Amino acid sequence: MATLTLESLGKTYDSGASAVRDVNINVADGEFLVLVGPSGCGKSTLLRMIAGLETVTDGTIRIGDRVVNKLEPAERDIAMVFQNYALYPHMSVRENLSYGLRNRRMAKAEINRRVDEAAKILEIGDFLERKPRALSGGQRQRVAMGRAIVREPSVFLFDEPLSNLDAKLRVSMRGEIRSLQKRLGTTSVYVTHDQLEAMTLADRLVVLRAGKVEQIGTPLEVYQRPASTFVAEFIGSPAMNLLDGVMQGHALSIAGASLTLPHSHQGPVRVGVRAEDLRAAPAGTTGGLPVHLRYVEELGSQRLGHFDCAGERLIAAFPSGQALSDEMALMAPPEALHLFGADGMRLA
Amino acid sequence: MVENQRWLNVLAHAVLILGVIVVALPVYIAFVASTHESGAFMSGVIPMLPGHNMVETYSAVLRGGVSSQISQPIWLMLGNSMIMALMIAVGKIVISITSAFAIVYFRFPCRGLAFWMIFITLMLPVEVRILPTYKVIADLGMLNSYAGLSIPLIASATATFLFRQVFLTMPDELVEAARIDGAGPMKFFRDILLPLSKTNIAALFVILFIYGWNQYLWPLLITTDPSYTTIVSGIKRMTDVQDGTPMWNYIMAVSVLAMLPPVAVVVFMQRLFVKGLIETEK
Ligand SMILES: Nc1ncnc2c1ncn2[C@@H]1O[C@H](COP(=O)(O)OP(=O)(O)OP(=O)(O)O)[C@@H](O)[C@H]1O
Ligand SMILES: [Mg+2]
Repeated sequence: MATLTLESLGKTYDSGASAVRDVNINVADGEFLVLVGPSGCGKSTLLRMIAGLETVTDGTIRIGDRVVNKLEPAERDIAMVFQNYALYPHMSVRENLSYGLRNRRMAKAEINRRVDEAAKILEIGDFLERKPRALSGGQRQRVAMGRAIVREPSVFLFDEPLSNLDAKLRVSMRGEIRSLQKRLGTTSVYVTHDQLEAMTLADRLVVLRAGKVEQIGTPLEVYQRPASTFVAEFIGSPAMNLLDGVMQGHALSIAGASLTLPHSHQGPVRVGVRAEDLRAAPAGTTGGLPVHLRYVEELGSQRLGHFDCAGERLIAAFPSGQALSDEMALMAPPEALHLFGADGMRLA
Repeated sequence: MVENQRWLNVLAHAVLILGVIVVALPVYIAFVASTHESGAFMSGVIPMLPGHNMVETYSAVLRGGVSSQISQPIWLMLGNSMIMALMIAVGKIVISITSAFAIVYFRFPCRGLAFWMIFITLMLPVEVRILPTYKVIADLGMLNSYAGLSIPLIASATATFLFRQVFLTMPDELVEAARIDGAGPMKFFRDILLPLSKTNIAALFVILFIYGWNQYLWPLLITTDPSYTTIVSGIKRMTDVQDGTPMWNYIMAVSVLAMLPPVAVVVFMQRLFVKGLIETEK
């Protein structure tokens, strides 16, 4: 059990590409931190630097109070679960689990105890003698987890461990990883590009963009107060609606509608509003946002209306019974609006 | 295997049978010749069925009772060939697997240069560099020795390339997982790379053993001491009779016997590497 500290961490590849820039994160003991971001934003690079598989070009990594920059992966007291599991194909499940322990010259009895315990936790006891080839994807995933667990490391590192599984299995494995991590209380860093996975797993979320930290916070904080239009569009499904508007003092005008807001600003803004915060304006009210219905997506529990609003796309979520017409008006409470400056950063 | 039309099956079988005949007929004739009396093949009509002399001929050859015809006891020649072929096959595999390991997994200065030097030797088989190689071996005092027979044939770029290709297909994550599991380079090589290359090693062993077994020119050149005669050059010597006709029945019997070890290697190793192919996946 340990904390993990990243201080002004940076990585420039030999090719000159800068993949990670000035990352500062403190991961508390036992915390589940999720790194999320679009493809190519440097999540894997960051994780692999922590693992020791990639050299650090700037800054320091501390596990507990040891600086580990120069240590071999095996000396860092970490365990990593890979996207494609990376099980040794010629070894049985038992050998796969125990290989790292045998390399550390651990006593046989202790190895067996740990393997059996991990097998019990992960319910892989029945196929300990099989080769990975004879396992399903989900079972391989468990074995990969088992290999991490038996090491009893200070930090677990996961690089998109669920992305090779089908959707249903992914959801159930997600729950298992979460409860397992809580039970073992091991500090964990988890990489994913799936925002839903990130939201459901994380104690804290780190949104990365082009190698830099865009926002750090609990899933709710990030969801409710995205720090930029980038985060606003990335976290949450459907993505947050963003419309162009102009503010003059407290008065906001967007797409022909105008509103009075609690905060004031001068000049053009991006206005964000979540689909679930939009309602149909009752007939006869003024000040609603005039929209044109393009199509409706039925989700069962709710229906998503896809609208055109002065040339921009807008999605609103309605209760399943709600009637929608081609031309209608939408409104949202002023406190549900997110304001972003011209640079995309949150104003208030 | 979607096509299942009758005539396609017939055609496929016809082609296969033709191939088998082309390959097997000379071998069969050699066997038939070894079972007849020595003059039978010179009589103008080549017999197509085995004769009655098989037991006599083979026991004579194996007991070394035809010393006037065979310069050395056949067991000695078979043994020499076996030692040479094994040294070449094992030596080539050991050298090429370690050099491929170095080239694929280590970043060292002049790595590119080393790679290209190995590559260039592809264009220099023994026959091309035979004179300088002979000089080197002679100067090192390795004429008439097993080392002299095998070492010059061991240097091989093809096998290095094969292993390099095999190693390049190993997923990077496997290397990384091993690093996290605390396996140093040699441990990784022994515990992971070698077992995963098992099938390739077996296949290569078969090819190299036969290559070594069939060597003719080089052994002929550097062994003057008859006790180092290999079976292939021994057979050649049997056909060089000063006066009179060669004893074809004995020659063919020795040829058939000389074929057995490579056949045994193929049969035995094939099982091993087919099994390996089924068992491992990367
Ligand atoms: N070995 C390398 N050499 C040079 N550049 C690299 C190397 N590995 C990654 N990069 C670059 O670094 C950036 C970050 O890559 P990284 O693999 O960390 O992305 P990622 O966030 O994990 O993406 P994904 O979600 O697709 O896995 C990318 O622009 C990539 O092209
Ligand atoms: Mg990645």
